[in-house]
Amino acid sequence: MNPWVPFVVFLVIGTAWTVAWGWTIARAGGPPAAYDPIYRGGGWIRRRLFAALIVVLGAAFLASLWWLPYRGVAASRLGAPTARVTVTARMWQWTLSRTQTPAGTPVEFDVTSVDVNHGFGIYGASGHLVAQVQAMPGYTNHLIVRLQPGRYVVRCLEYCGVPHIGMLTAFDVK
Amino acid sequence: MASTLLNGRNGPALRAALVYLYVGFALFLLLGLLGLTMRLAHAEALPMDPALYDQFFTLHGAGMIAAVLLGAMGGIVAVLSPHVHLDLRLLWIGFVLYLLGVCYIPIAVLLGGFSAGWTVLYPLPVAYQAGWTSWSAFAFLLGYLFVALGFGVWCLAVLLGTAGTYGGLRRAMAWPLVFSGGRATGPQPYLQDIVATVIAIYGIGSVLVGAVYLIPLFGQNLSLSGAVNALLMKNLVFLFGHNMVNLTIYLGAGLVYSILPLYAGRPWKTSWLSAFVINLLFVSMLLPFFHHMYQDFVNTVPLHLIGEIGSYGSGLPVLLVTILGGLGLVYRAGMRWAVPSILILIGFWGWVFGGIGALVDATIPINQIYHNTLWVPAHFHTYYLLGAVAFVWAFLYHLTADLSGHREPGLSRTAAWLYGIGGAGFVLMFFIAGAAGMPRRYAIPVAGTGETTLAAIGSAFTALLGLALAWLAYDLLRQLRPAWRRTLGASTEPTVRPTGGAAT
Repeated sequence: MNPWVPFVVFLVIGTAWTVAWGWTIARAGGPPAAYDPIYRGGGWIRRRLFAALIVVLGAAFLASLWWLPYRGVAASRLGAPTARVTVTARMWQWTLSRTQTPAGTPVEFDVTSVDVNHGFGIYGASGHLVAQVQAMPGYTNHLIVRLQPGRYVVRCLEYCGVPHIGMLTAFDVK
Repeated sequence: MASTLLNGRNGPALRAALVYLYVGFALFLLLGLLGLTMRLAHAEALPMDPALYDQFFTLHGAGMIAAVLLGAMGGIVAVLSPHVHLDLRLLWIGFVLYLLGVCYIPIAVLLGGFSAGWTVLYPLPVAYQAGWTSWSAFAFLLGYLFVALGFGVWCLAVLLGTAGTYGGLRRAMAWPLVFSGGRATGPQPYLQDIVATVIAIYGIGSVLVGAVYLIPLFGQNLSLSGAVNALLMKNLVFLFGHNMVNLTIYLGAGLVYSILPLYAGRPWKTSWLSAFVINLLFVSMLLPFFHHMYQDFVNTVPLHLIGEIGSYGSGLPVLLVTILGGLGLVYRAGMRWAVPSILILIGFWGWVFGGIGALVDATIPINQIYHNTLWVPAHFHTYYLLGAVAFVWAFLYHLTADLSGHREPGLSRTAAWLYGIGGAGFVLMFFIAGAAGMPRRYAIPVAGTGETTLAAIGSAFTALLGLALAWLAYDLLRQLRPAWRRTLGASTEPTVRPTGGAAT
């Protein structure tokens, strides 16, 4: 997903809210009006807004189900993984079982940690975050992604001590 | 000028409230400066060693939560005190424990180098190879323990007070009204009293969760026990942290219920709907916490889905009842514009704007690319700094003006609006950087995310915010002495009894 798409959606909704808020505030001063009709009007707006939000948020929830990153859903959407990479995190380095993966086909990253929590964040050539999963001691998280050809940088996204900023590695997708 | 809060017997409680609020405000200003230095460091305008940056964000995060919660606790003491008898000994014991905890935090961070972040994600605090000492981790955990204990004692004081006033906790939470579908007759508790009671019960539960989290950490720190399950600990710490932040926001909302009607000249009555949604907090505040764990795939899919539904659902009562009710209250009300009313309206904007950012991040596929980026501090700074914090300092300003009879200069109202403009510009830069993929808790900007430029713009807005706060702080400082003296004077004003307004 292009990270600017949700940002634009956020900005549009946020701007609509700001306009509604500003419109109300601009009418807060001046001579006072009777409150009862306004109170009843608020109830009218509340009921309709409630119905609209249930529909919008319900649709957002249902749509999100298809795009869940979890193993079963991701394998259904992208297909069964054709390659597997074991990822082990430790303070402050990544160990990948392979540094080259096939392009355009599902690849599974099996991610764990031997010490503290780390965040396995995959950054694309454009500098944007493509996908992530936590690396946790005692557990293995399975992340399935399909990547385009290029060089990908892995950054730690869970703070793990002062050297956290230098916990980097890279892999190629060909 | 007659005070709306002071009566013949609540002077000592109001003094306790002033101490809570002013100490919280002072901490907030101090830790806000650390925030500004971190933005300047990212803007490359101020050289800062990464180790110091990490200490600053640990101190800033832990301290800000503690500072604003302390202020909110003080505010609730003030709004309850005219009609609820609060045990002063408990209030002061709670304050001393809380402050003791707050003092341990800078000792651990600045002297011991502890910098595991305010979330102290297990087992990082006891992984000393990360760069800190065993004693500093112990001091930090002790700090959290005392803060939690202090808050727990305050919760107890509130519960004893409201239960005593209304004849039991059920009545203090307006359950006869809630469970009769609004058919209960007679006076009902004030909305702020229902909020205080619900949050105090929830708060005691949160303190217990925090204790369960801290025990194994203390055990490991003192070499008394071994490692424990990291997934369980992660759930516990996020449950505790999520609760502490959210209950601060709702305490702030309780303060709004109390003072906004005074500026709008209209009553905010205890209706069935408002009492119901406040009681709903027991569920609506709890369920979204699972959204902190989306990227822990082993936490099972149903819990992730509960987190998403819970996050969406928790926004509805806030928007439809509190915000819409508040906007209806001020619409064509002949509003009295003053620092508190301006800050409250800014708080409405920030609560919703930040909430929209939170809902975006609570959508699991989007969380894949926004989690642990600057989008996270973006949305919580929006509904915290421009929401809960604005509510709490609005109340502080109201209380001191109410007691001191101070008439604010026009410049103070300008400062209040600048607080909103500075804050909005500051958080917007965070949002952009987050969408660009800039990781949070990074001591240096990542090339390609534009963070250096964004932090420079953000720093300018933060400086504006700082200037506005400095003016308001000056104003508050001038009012403190007359306000304090007013609480010492004997008053013949009658005690306000709980009427709360009939159910509507």
